[in-house]
Amino acid sequence: MTQTIGVAQKSKTPTKLAIVTAIIFIIMAILPFFIGNFQTSLLSKLLLFGTLAVSLDLVWGFTGILSFAHGVFFTLGGYAMAYYLKLNLSAEANTYGVALPDFMVWNGLEKLPWFIAPLQYFIVAAIAMVAVPAIFAYLIGWFIFRSKVSGVYITIITLAISSALTTFFVSQQAYTGGTNGITDVSELSIFGANIPLIGLYWMILIFTTAVLIGSWWLTQSNFGLILRSIKENENRISFLGYDVASFKIFIWTLSAGIAGITGGLFVPLNRFISPVYLAVAFGTQVVIWVAIGGRGTLIGPLVAAILLGQIQNSAEQVTQDWQLIVGILLLIVVLFIPDGLVGSIVNLFDRKSARAK
Amino acid sequence: MYFYLSPVYYLAQEAAEGFSVVALANQLVNGIGIVGILLLTGLGLAITFGVMRIINLAHGEFIMLGAYTTFVLQSAFNLDLLLTIPFAFIITAAIGALVEISIIRRLYGRPLETLLATWGLSIVLQGVIKLIFTAQLKYVRSPSYISGNLTLLKDAQGTPTVAISYYRLFIVIVALALLALTGYLLYRTNLGRQVRAVTQNRSMAQCLGVNTSLVDMATFAYGCGLAGVAGAVISSLKSVAPPMGQDYLVDAWMTVVTGGVDRLVGVLAGAFLIGESNATIAYLLNDPTARVIVLFAVIILIRYKPEGLFSIQKRG
Repeated sequence: MTQTIGVAQKSKTPTKLAIVTAIIFIIMAILPFFIGNFQTSLLSKLLLFGTLAVSLDLVWGFTGILSFAHGVFFTLGGYAMAYYLKLNLSAEANTYGVALPDFMVWNGLEKLPWFIAPLQYFIVAAIAMVAVPAIFAYLIGWFIFRSKVSGVYITIITLAISSALTTFFVSQQAYTGGTNGITDVSELSIFGANIPLIGLYWMILIFTTAVLIGSWWLTQSNFGLILRSIKENENRISFLGYDVASFKIFIWTLSAGIAGITGGLFVPLNRFISPVYLAVAFGTQVVIWVAIGGRGTLIGPLVAAILLGQIQNSAEQVTQDWQLIVGILLLIVVLFIPDGLVGSIVNLFDRKSARAK
Repeated sequence: MYFYLSPVYYLAQEAAEGFSVVALANQLVNGIGIVGILLLTGLGLAITFGVMRIINLAHGEFIMLGAYTTFVLQSAFNLDLLLTIPFAFIITAAIGALVEISIIRRLYGRPLETLLATWGLSIVLQGVIKLIFTAQLKYVRSPSYISGNLTLLKDAQGTPTVAISYYRLFIVIVALALLALTGYLLYRTNLGRQVRAVTQNRSMAQCLGVNTSLVDMATFAYGCGLAGVAGAVISSLKSVAPPMGQDYLVDAWMTVVTGGVDRLVGVLAGAFLIGESNATIAYLLNDPTARVIVLFAVIILIRYKPEGLFSIQKRG
């Protein structure tokens, strides 16, 4: 197995990379002034999905753990933020006269459950959107990585988790809003200040950039080297005295935390969250972005998410069967371009530079 | 959103109120129906995953194809559901063979890649079926001679207290027959011996003159054919729709993984364990909770016994 590492990632001094990143960042930052509200909100959504894919890339592309549960972490973060936004709205404008979200009233709850009540404070919600998925992931990780369970079975476990939680969230209608999820949430306001769409877009852009830079730094470090060694040959690295399970649990938890934040930022944009994002189908969507973009390239999954999102958006206007296109694309990539789109481009450049030497 | 219409869920819906031994017995008898479905849907996977080690995420779509075959034959020729079963087998097996030649063959030994490719395939199959038949729900009639209930116990007034529908019995019988047939093919015939030889030591089998690529194709096609039969049998339980395969996928996987992937009897054990514990917990608590508990129990089981409950002990 050859490791695909971005060209830029190989350079010792990241000056070039930093300049390119800065230019792209500035272009992206002023883009909303030219493309209108619809495209801005679409782009924000795709940036978030891309960042979610980057978080999966950390565990799959670099550590070799294929997870279908990243939609779960995303949704857990999303629900934390959705409760805050919903409670925020209920407190101001409530048709039922009690500070209770509408779906709780419909389902016969009389007061806010104790485990949801703290989420009416922004600080608590902001912490919860990272902490809940991260703690959940830590527990799962602690449970599965300290055993002999190997690659494929871990993937099957993530499928089961996704399926079980979907059933659970749908059945707990009084607490989660059931199939509809939490709808009609308020706009995001931080300490009384309302955030307009462009502000949200900038927040998301900064977050995406931070995740990319952080992941790049992490995978370039010695820690990243160990992760890649785990992917290549787990036994060898454990014979060298490294505690493989701890490394896996750490990156798994970190990745889930990032996924949780993407979910938390997604809710004020999307204005609702529902078990659709918990289900296996959405979890696979994330996997597809990483596969098509290129495992272990970090930027690849982001590019794939944005590209596929745009394709979907334009295809939806023509036909309802855009998913067929995604399926065919995935088959082509797996069969003929196993390194993914960005991975292949990187390989092409590598070969050229090798020939030049 | 189809997941909450999962087959386990569907069949367990007739839970009784209040605790009584008779009601529990009824629930357990009805659990047999769930066992039958799990066995049917898991059997094909037991071949493709247990025998061939292919992570087939398109398994649910082969079930869907079987169901559509029944629908087409019934609407075009007014064919009885029972008579469509062989056609469902042949058509899905043929599609399976095509898939093996065009996709799976290139990916042997790379389990995660087969997983991705079969997921891509499942999206494509769903998309193609949706293009041909639209996303509208289709309905399949079950034959009149297997409707009604078999009464096992009556109370003093003569009203049935423990009963099972003939359709559930029919599912169980088909599932058991297929299990027996598969066991016979795998352990008592020449082809089965070749299949086992190829899966145990591919190069050795090749040296001995076994046509491994033909065996691979036949085995995969057979596994897909079984999924097709499952689809035909299940088609009249609820509506037939392009995403219906997704409902069965996770359950089928759990069944195979619970029982153990090495032996066919594992599928039976897995189906029985999951089906009956689901029925019991659903009786004591409720259906969604039962599903969640059973799924988490399976996760714990995989953690401690990745090879499943009924696997052959391997050395080293």
